[in-house]
Amino acid sequence: MFYRYFPLWHPFFERLGWRVVVSDGVRQKEKIVYFEDSCLPMKLLVTHAMQLKEKVDHLFVPRLVSLHRTYIMCPKFRGAPDIVRLAMGRNVSIVDETTDLRKGGMSLLQTFQKIGEKLGASRQESKKAFREAEESFNKFQRNWMARINQVPTRQLFEMDVPTPALRRVQGCPEPHWTQGQSPEPYMVQGATPSGEVRREEIGSPLRVALIGHPYNLFDIDVNKDLLTLAKSLGMEIMTSDLLSEKEIDREISDLSKEIYWSSGREIVGSLFHFLSGGVDGAIFLTSFKCGIDALLQEFIKRRLKVRGGSPVPLLVLSFDEHTGREGLTTRLEAFRDVMEEQKKLRSSNVKVQSSN
Amino acid sequence: MKVTFPRLGSMHIFCKAIAETAGIPYILPPETSRKTLTLGVLHSNECICLPFKVILGNFIEALQMGADTIVMVGSGPPCRLGLYDLVQKVILEDMGLHYRWLTIPPRLTWQAIWKNHEETKELRKELSARNILLFPYGLWMGWKKMMACETLEQLALKVRPKEIKKGETQKRLKKALSWVDEAKAPKALQQAVREAKALLQEMEQDRSRVPFKVAMVGELYTVMDPHINRGVEQKLGELGVEVTRTSWFSTHILRTLRRNRADQASERVRFFEASKAYLGYDVGAECNVSIGEAVLRSKEGYDGIVHLMPFACMPETTASGILTRVGKDCDIPILTLILDEQEIEGRIQTLLEAFVEMLEWKRKAA
Repeated sequence: MFYRYFPLWHPFFERLGWRVVVSDGVRQKEKIVYFEDSCLPMKLLVTHAMQLKEKVDHLFVPRLVSLHRTYIMCPKFRGAPDIVRLAMGRNVSIVDETTDLRKGGMSLLQTFQKIGEKLGASRQESKKAFREAEESFNKFQRNWMARINQVPTRQLFEMDVPTPALRRVQGCPEPHWTQGQSPEPYMVQGATPSGEVRREEIGSPLRVALIGHPYNLFDIDVNKDLLTLAKSLGMEIMTSDLLSEKEIDREISDLSKEIYWSSGREIVGSLFHFLSGGVDGAIFLTSFKCGIDALLQEFIKRRLKVRGGSPVPLLVLSFDEHTGREGLTTRLEAFRDVMEEQKKLRSSNVKVQSSN
Repeated sequence: MKVTFPRLGSMHIFCKAIAETAGIPYILPPETSRKTLTLGVLHSNECICLPFKVILGNFIEALQMGADTIVMVGSGPPCRLGLYDLVQKVILEDMGLHYRWLTIPPRLTWQAIWKNHEETKELRKELSARNILLFPYGLWMGWKKMMACETLEQLALKVRPKEIKKGETQKRLKKALSWVDEAKAPKALQQAVREAKALLQEMEQDRSRVPFKVAMVGELYTVMDPHINRGVEQKLGELGVEVTRTSWFSTHILRTLRRNRADQASERVRFFEASKAYLGYDVGAECNVSIGEAVLRSKEGYDGIVHLMPFACMPETTASGILTRVGKDCDIPILTLILDEQEIEGRIQTLLEAFVEMLEWKRKAA
C-alpha cells in the first residue's frame, strides 16, 4: 500500500526528524528474492526489504489489517511483517504497528502515536506530525489526477517533484468529472522518447480507466511501467481514486453479500462504474496468484455476461515476474485500436441519429 | 423441492441424515471425481482455490441431476470462503442453471437472521409442518452420526499403520461408515457404531510395530477430504505412519458456535498461542493454527508434519513461508503439499514415500 499512503507516511516521519529512505526498485528479474511462494507484490516486498537492510535503522513494514471502518485488507498483509522479519533474520528493527481502523475514529492517530513512541517521540509530537502529514496527504490526493497523467512514473511518489497544473480547464478534476462532460482536447505531456504519439488521430485522448490494487498500478517492477506505455499510446489515465466511496458503493450495493475486502470493493465498484460509461476503455490489472482478484475477476466477467455485456471494452492484464514488455505493448496497442474503432462507431451512430 | 449440499469428507453422511430424518427430499451429489473437478475448473479461473472448484463441480452435478435448492455454509472474512456463494451464484446463473440458495450463517447476528428469513420465505411454503417439527430431531441425529463417523475415522488412523494386509483398514472403514449411513434410528445407530468399532479393532494387526507419528495440518478442506488430497491420510497410514489431525467437523462447528469445550476448542487456543512466536496477528483461517500445531507437535515428540494447502490459498501461503523456518528452528521435517486440479496422485505417493524414508533415517540416527 506504499502507493497510496506514502504521501501520508513520508511527511510524518520527516516531521519527526527521521530521514526516509525508499528502496529504488528491483528492475531485474534475477534479483527477486523468493522467500515464499506468494504473489509477485509479496515477493517484491521481501526483496525491497533486503535491499534496505543495510541502509536504515528502522524498517517500516506496517501490519495493515483494516483501512476502513468496516472492510478489511487481504490476509497476506496481516502476515507481511512476520514474513519480512523471518526473511531478514532477527537482527533488524522493524516497525510493524498494527493498523486496524475497525476500532473507531481515533485509531489511526493512535497507531501513528504508537509508531512515534517506538521512534522516541512524545505523543504530542506525534500528533502534531500526524496532523501535518494528513494535511499534505490530502493536498497530494487532490492533485493526483494531474500528477498521474503528467509526471513520469518513476517520479510519481518523489515528494519534492512538484505537480504541474493540468493544462485543461481550471485546476484539478472533481470526482464528478467522469460523468457527462465531454473533455476538451488536449495533448498528453508525458510522452516518452519511444512513443510516437499519433496526435493527428486523437481528437480527444482515449480515456482509459486503470483498475487494480495500487501496487499493481504503480509499481514498475510489477507492471513493467504500464503507465508510461499507456501514456505514450495517447491514453489518458483515470483511476479509482477519482471516485468517491459513495459512487463505488452504489454499484455494488445490490449484491447478495458484502465484499469485505476494501480493495476488492474498490475494484469491483469502480470497474462497474466505469464500464457503464464515461470512459473509452477499462483495464483491470491483477498479479498472478492474487486470491482476491482471481475470485473477483471471475465474478466481474460472469456478471457482465449475465447483464448482457457492456458498452466499454475491458482488458484484463495479469502480471508475474515473467511478463515481458513486448507482449504488453502488443496487447495495449491492440486494445487501443479496439477503443478507437468503438469510438468511431459511437460517433457515427450519433451522427446518424441527429440527421434523422 | 430437492435439497443438495457440497460434498466434503464424510459430511454427506450426516447431511443426508438431517434431511432424511426431517423428511426433506434431497439429492446427494455424486462422489467427487475427475468429472466433478473438470466441471469446476471449466467454469472458474486458474487462481481460484481448489475447494471453490470442487464445490462448484458438486453443485453443477447435483443441479443436473435435478436438485433445485442449494444449502451452503457461509463464512466470514478474511478468507475467500466467505465470498464463495456470491461468485458461485453468478456462475450458475450464467450457465443457465436454476437454483435456490440457502446460506447457513457463520454467526448468529440480526443481519444473518434477517437474510435467512428472506432466503427461506419461498422454501417454507413447500415444507410441511411435520418437516419443520422434525428438523431439530434431524439436526440431533445428524450430529450423532457426525460424531460416529469421526470416532470411526480416528480409530482407523490408529489402526491403519499396524495393518498386516495392506488396504484392509480402508475396506473395513468404508463398510463401517456405510453401516452408520444406513442406521435410521438412534438405537440402530448405537448398534452400528458398536459393531463398526469392533470390525476395525478385530482386524489382524502387527502390534509390535512402532509407527511414526505425523501431524496433518493445513487448510481444512484439503485436510478433511480424501478426494481432494488424494488420500494422503490413507497413503501415510499404509506406509506405517500414525496420522493425527485436529481438523474435524465437530471442531469447526463448535468453534463457530463459540462453545469452548475443554477438549477440542482449547486445543486450538493452545496452538494459536504457540504461533505467536512467529506470527504477530491472526492471519485468518487455519494459518495460525497450522504454525502453532507444527511448533507444539515438534515438542510433543512427533516425527514430522505434513502441511496441506490448495494452490494460491491466501492464509496458507503465508503459513508455508513461515513453516520452512519453523522446520529449521524446531528440527522437525515438514512436507508441504500444494494441491490443485492436476492429476498428481503418483507424485504424492513418491513424495510421501521419500518423506517416510527420511523419517526412518532420522530415527536411526537418533
